[in-house]
Formats: sequence, structure tokens, C-alpha cells
Amino acid sequence: MKIMLNDAPHEFSGETLQDLLTHLDKSEQGIAIAINQQVVPKSLWRSTELNEQSQVFIFESIAGG
Amino acid sequence: MSSLFIAGHEFHSRLFTGTGKYASADAMMDSLTASESELVTLSLRRMDLKNQTDNILKPLQQQGIKLLPNTSGARTAKEAVFAAELAREALQTNWVKLEIHPDPRYLMPDGMETLLAAEELIKKGFVVMPYVHADPVLCKRLEEVGCQCVMPLGSPIGSNMGLASRPFLEIIIEQSTVPVIVDAGIGAPSDAALALEIGADAVLVNTAMAVARQPAQMGKAFRLAVEAGRMAYESGLGERRVQAQATSPLTDFLGALS
Repeated sequence: MKIMLNDAPHEFSGETLQDLLTHLDKSEQGIAIAINQQVVPKSLWRSTELNEQSQVFIFESIAGG
Repeated sequence: MSSLFIAGHEFHSRLFTGTGKYASADAMMDSLTASESELVTLSLRRMDLKNQTDNILKPLQQQGIKLLPNTSGARTAKEAVFAAELAREALQTNWVKLEIHPDPRYLMPDGMETLLAAEELIKKGFVVMPYVHADPVLCKRLEEVGCQCVMPLGSPIGSNMGLASRPFLEIIIEQSTVPVIVDAGIGAPSDAALALEIGADAVLVNTAMAVARQPAQMGKAFRLAVEAGRMAYESGLGERRVQAQATSPLTDFLGALS
């Protein structure tokens, strides 16, 4: 499936948000996800299905003042 | 030295710190450890999908330091509310340092957007710590809408210019019924000590510690300065006057020599 991930087209094989994270192989600590401008709580990552219209943004915590 | 309470949370240290600009995660941890800071700020950004980011979360959590996400990068109230909601999810905290600065050159906080965002975030259950100008009227308004503290600036972020806003900070401190935390511009431990001496409840320091040649030693220097400033404030500073007032009794026994 082709989705928009952080403003760029992204191809992956899977259905849910959790599948996308597994595919990205990134630490899940300190991250947050929004789909179509709505924050998706971690408890819903497994049950949230993606489709070709999904605009996914993943944010991570970094150093800052 | 008394503890500081914000939203029911007790802080033994009145030195809050930022995590930006350190040369490495190790240098940051050494500096923060020496500073004995109990609250540190973090930012959010879009995840870098190509590179692995240096994980600073783990050592901070192991140390038991409270995390305070900021809304840096937000230019409007709407963006700041969204950033706060993301941060709450990412760091599992309802505390947020609300900062909205649309101007990248001076990073001046937008007071109107900040007030709008603060009101909305408080309705959503956040503990809001707003970064604002040293504007006594705005600080009062933020207090009235339910902010648990206010964070007026000393001078522009990262400028190391110290308490350029001192006369206005003094008004804010006098009027405020919530803790006043001087944020931004504190370039030297003496600036931090001064802020505490004039009655600020805490300071937030980042650049001055992070860019020091020896960040760990600078962390300790700030800790001592903040403690000294607070102790002096609690002890009661003497009044300033123009004329001299002798500390030794003015006796006339030397008159015998003439």
C-alpha cells in the first residue's frame, strides 16, 4: 500500500499503524503519531487501519530548550 | 531552603534545564546530573526516517528527571495545541511548556496566541507553563485562565544577555500568585542568582550550560548560584541606600593622635 508518511509517498506491505511501525523498525519510545491531523493514542495503533488516503505523521522527541 | 510546588508537584531544585545544544548525550547527562535539576525540557519534531536519533530519553528517565515537552516550532495557538497533544502522547505527561514564536530571528513569543492556546489546553486538562514576554498584564491574564506558573523571559532565547527585563520581572513577581520562572537569556550563574534574589521562584537555563567548555562544571556552578540566590531571598536582603552607613562604631579614639 502507498501512503503519505511525513509528507512523502511511502510504500509498505501491511494494514495497520502497528504494521507500519514494525516495517520502519524505529524505537517506539517517545514517539507520537497523527493521521489526518488527529493524534492516535498508542492503545489504538494495533487497531488503526491505514488506506491510500492516509496522511501519516510520526513525531519523535528530541533535545530542546 | 523551601521546596517549590507546581500543580502539586514538589521540586527541591529551583533550577530547570533544557536539553538542547549539548555536544553529546553524555555531556548533557553529566551537566544535568551536576546541576541536580529535576525538570528538563524536550522538543518534538517529525521523525527522521533515514537516521537513528540519539536516544536521550532513556538516561533522563533512568535518572528520574521530570520531562517537560515544549511546543517549539508552533507559530499559532492551533499548532501549539496540536503539538501539546502529540507531546502528551509521546512522553505520557500532561505538562507542557507552551511556546509560540512565529519570528525565527528574535524568537519573540506571541502573547495573544499564547493566551488563546493556554485557555484551550487548560480546558483539555494540561498543566500549562507559558513562555512569554516579561509582560505583567499578560502574566496576570495567563494566571486568570488557569496557568500553574508563568515563564517570562530575561532576554531573547540563547542571547546570554541576562535579565534585560528586570524592572518588568519585578512587577510580575510582586503581582503573581503562581510561581514565576525566569526563562531565556540567562547567560551566567550570576544572572540566575539575581533572578532568585529578586524573588523569582525558579529559572530555566539551557544554552549557558550546554555550550560551556565544561558543561558538567557549569551545571554545578548554576546549581550553587540558584541555591545562593534563593537562600539570600529567603534570608532577606538589606535595603539599598545612597548614603553610607557605618558598620563599625565611629569612635573618636584616633583623635588622640592629632
